Amino acid sequence: MSESINIFFVMLKRDLILAMRDKTDFINSLIFFIIIIVLFPLTFGSDAKLINELIPGVIWISALLATCLSLESIFRSDFEDGTIEQITLSRYPLTLIVSAKIIAHWLTFGIPLIIISILMGLIFSLPVDVILALFITLLLGTPTLSLFGSVMVVLTIGLRGSMLLSLLILPLSMPVLIFSILAVNNASINQSIIAETYFLGGILLLAISLAPIAASAALRIRLS
Amino acid sequence: MPQFNINNLECVRHNNILFSDLTFTMKDGDLLQIDGTNGSGKSSLLQICSGLIRPSKGTIEWNNEDIYEYHNSFHKDTLYLGHKNAIKSSLTIKENIQFISALGGVIENQDYTEILNTVGLSDTEELYAGNLSAGQQRRLSLSRLLMTRSKLWLLDEPFNALDKHGKRMVENIIINHCNIGGIVIFTTHQEMEFNQYPLKSIHLGNNNV
Repeated sequence: MSESINIFFVMLKRDLILAMRDKTDFINSLIFFIIIIVLFPLTFGSDAKLINELIPGVIWISALLATCLSLESIFRSDFEDGTIEQITLSRYPLTLIVSAKIIAHWLTFGIPLIIISILMGLIFSLPVDVILALFITLLLGTPTLSLFGSVMVVLTIGLRGSMLLSLLILPLSMPVLIFSILAVNNASINQSIIAETYFLGGILLLAISLAPIAASAALRIRLS
Repeated sequence: MPQFNINNLECVRHNNILFSDLTFTMKDGDLLQIDGTNGSGKSSLLQICSGLIRPSKGTIEWNNEDIYEYHNSFHKDTLYLGHKNAIKSSLTIKENIQFISALGGVIENQDYTEILNTVGLSDTEELYAGNLSAGQQRRLSLSRLLMTRSKLWLLDEPFNALDKHGKRMVENIIINHCNIGGIVIFTTHQEMEFNQYPLKSIHLGNNNV
């Protein structure tokens, strides 16, 4: 048992080191995230009130698109160099190793994304309540996206073109998006966001318990 | 006593029967060479044996247990090495080796210099694996043979890209493993000697076995 936990941390550490060495992947997705947020207000005109209303939604949509882009890299290099076979055939539970990879992805992409979102909220001078709601929904929403996304990534890995990945992830992320936007809207009219937070937490728990198992099963199918 | 049974195996790829009715049994100390022309199904056979892909017909048993039903215990006893090296070029050699040993289930803090000496990569610990030549990367990948507790080794073209010394080194590692009761199945087109170690062989090709 302790050996299995050891491999979890070995895998996590390795993926974090790799992410730090090959920075381009996640830095590009983060820059993409920032650029989309900055581009939107250009099309709204100079109405500050309108921008204030729309920016939280824009931040969420951009987060979705950027996650689609960044998810692609979770398994790509392992698939190309054959590590995926070694992982799949190793003596340890595949679910555990896959979980470590997903967590590493969230740590290197999700957390910077949340921080940038808060900064963006401050730049567009959103009310503190709205920024707080954005923070909470992103904190619960981005890991959910990483988890569900990883299943789709495994299914589409090695196939030509990454469009399919976005087509699979975006519909799946709708519940997360709906509850997050509801929460942000409630916060902007000074109402409670507890209900939405519970829903997002529930979806996250569902993702934590199902996605790693589904991703490992998909991985075995994908390799055969 | 470890035993590996292949019963009536058939492999179909792209509507082509690569081989059929393949049956053999291996016990501890057995060394099996699979040879055959390109595209005759050598790699497919190894992948089927490793449990990566499923055969269209036939069963595979490890210690008289079906490897798909009892895949946990089977994977604990198996080491598969494919065409690809599973080496990360942006990790140093030491980091690669640490990962290999963790994945192989050898976690006690051992001295990696000895392993690197054996595979002929001494004094390179801090180099990035991406800077190594193809042969050196293969050697690094083969270091997983020295850091495993698995009994059954399935090696796909282990001698590729290796020079004479490298080839001899791998031969010795394989013979050592067979001498302590391991089982090795490997593919190659090269003529092998193995110091007179009893070598069985299977020839695949032109749909007949």
